[in-house]
Amino acid sequence: MGQRKRPGARGSLTSATPGRIALPARKSAKHNVCMVSDFFYPNMGGVESHIYQLSQCLIEKGHKVIVVTHAYGNRKGIRYLSSGLKVYYLPLQVMYNQSTVTTCFHSLPLLRCIFVRERITVVHAHSSFSAMAHDSLFHAKAMGLNTVFTDHSLFGFADVSSVLTNKLLTISLCDTNHIICVSYTSKENTVLRAALDPEIVSVIPNAVDPGDFTPDPSKRDDGKITIVVVSRLVYRKGIDLLGGIIPELCLKYPDLHFLIGGEGPKRIVLEEVREKYQLHDRVRLLGALEHKDVRNVLVQGHIFLNTSLTEAFCMAIVEGASCGLQVVSTRVGGIPEVLPEDLITLCEPTVGSLCEGLELVIGRQRAGTAPPPAAVHSRVRTLYTWRNVAERTEKVYDRVATAAVLPLDQRLRRLRARCGPVAGSIFALMAVLDFLFLLLLRWLVPDSLIDVAVDATGPNGLWTQTWKG
Amino acid sequence: MSEEKFTDINGKPISLECRSHSSFCREFVVSAPKVSLRAVMVCTCAVWLSAYAAFFVTKNTAVLSSAIVTTLVGMMVHIHLIKIDHERLLIVGSLGVQVSSCFASGRESATFIEMSSIKDIVINEAIHMQRVIYYLCILLKEPSDPNGVSGVVPLFQSSKPRLNCLVKIYKSCQEILGQC
Repeated sequence: MGQRKRPGARGSLTSATPGRIALPARKSAKHNVCMVSDFFYPNMGGVESHIYQLSQCLIEKGHKVIVVTHAYGNRKGIRYLSSGLKVYYLPLQVMYNQSTVTTCFHSLPLLRCIFVRERITVVHAHSSFSAMAHDSLFHAKAMGLNTVFTDHSLFGFADVSSVLTNKLLTISLCDTNHIICVSYTSKENTVLRAALDPEIVSVIPNAVDPGDFTPDPSKRDDGKITIVVVSRLVYRKGIDLLGGIIPELCLKYPDLHFLIGGEGPKRIVLEEVREKYQLHDRVRLLGALEHKDVRNVLVQGHIFLNTSLTEAFCMAIVEGASCGLQVVSTRVGGIPEVLPEDLITLCEPTVGSLCEGLELVIGRQRAGTAPPPAAVHSRVRTLYTWRNVAERTEKVYDRVATAAVLPLDQRLRRLRARCGPVAGSIFALMAVLDFLFLLLLRWLVPDSLIDVAVDATGPNGLWTQTWKG
Repeated sequence: MSEEKFTDINGKPISLECRSHSSFCREFVVSAPKVSLRAVMVCTCAVWLSAYAAFFVTKNTAVLSSAIVTTLVGMMVHIHLIKIDHERLLIVGSLGVQVSSCFASGRESATFIEMSSIKDIVINEAIHMQRVIYYLCILLKEPSDPNGVSGVVPLFQSSKPRLNCLVKIYKSCQEILGQC
């Protein structure tokens, strides 16, 4: 696992935006980047592939990149993925949804050891759901390293859990050097939630690997119309809406089929609908899909449906469009920014509105006025590339590298000023304790006793071997 | 034959002795410092003083005798089972590798691994006691699959030398492994 094939199309570096690269002749400094998140392969999802692809492109650009995550079952210790990406699977206790327990302190010895031995200059944490990411930011600031945080999700403001998470996010981000969001909606949301200065928040969208998602019209059955849904079957993804759409449209259109990939607690809703309306031959539930199988499912359909209730940046609709499908989606979060208007049909997140949108697209499909898959693919493939993401992230690192890390006294003052008198004081105390713990560790195991790791990637990278098979 | 000074991962001095018996037979001995008299005195005094304190309260002489027995047994166990004075790696080309460790009491335990079951000797990284360290290990061959690894035998487990020491042993071992 992990040895994923790289498409051969990575050869030319300047294909994305030749004009912009040619201008600045100065060579930017190389960074030693440490990506930290609870979510990484073998776990599957958007954050995981984001970290992997971004790391691969940064390695290609000559930076040294390592990934730190928690142990997944028997996969613990230190592993190498393709092109020398080093991954630390740390033995930390998992609490809920693959997120680790946080006590703010217990991960310091290991993280400090890794930061020192790998001579890390920038710590890049991912996902606000990941406790390990926040812990690493906290420790990195105590150690005086530059920090970057990427937020992959949207939150509400109203209920108790989001109020608490927002408070924690405020505390975690108030002294982080730079924050990256995946869409403008997500930026707005993060700036409001964490009370940040918008100046230090950048927007860098996600990307898809266009080589992995190519259209293949021969795989689909043009005698009927197939709607594909690929998402986790959870409340956030609007599976209840899907349960309302299926019977309504199936009654109207006898040649309509649904193909649903994914697994989750809301599967029962879809099974009930299928049972109640006797739709066993027309609604197929495929269960959990591996990432490599997603394309094979997508190319079987004509229309891609996304019913998410909240979404920072929807990767799934880009993947669907890249496979040449017509996309119908809810108008929530950052989705309207993702695709150009003529490639997507946006609806309100209600059953009625979604049905209307779908009927429109079905009509277009029947009349044959839908754009051909190859044309859609060729438009989408240039929109979001990982090279472009890496280039923009590199600029963030360059900017962060010149910024000063706040010394402890200013950090404390900022915590007290920005996060309220109670929470601010508590976390200022935590920051002091963390710093004292760090001093204790420095006394017990001085930095000079930690062996400097041999670089696999970066300017002095020794990774030359390419494994075949 | 040569002897060099290195430190282990905790900064304690250790010495590495390389003996070259012939072109295909080499021996590496990593020696840790001997049991220091000071540490023994401190431990003994601590146990005895606390025993006297307990005796002062309870007025029971059994406390004193048990303290004496505890120190003696503890010392025996420590030098016989825990404290390793030196670890030896004897590598003979085309024959095999002998790994032995010598305890402070003089007891020696050794294992021999045949060359036919050794795939390679490598330096690896591991997470150990809240740290990430380098260690030297022997990879064992899977009998059925020539490319597979069936097990790992870590070397110098008690002395835990630092990377510069490991690299020296590694290079020397690879010279011999390369010959056969």
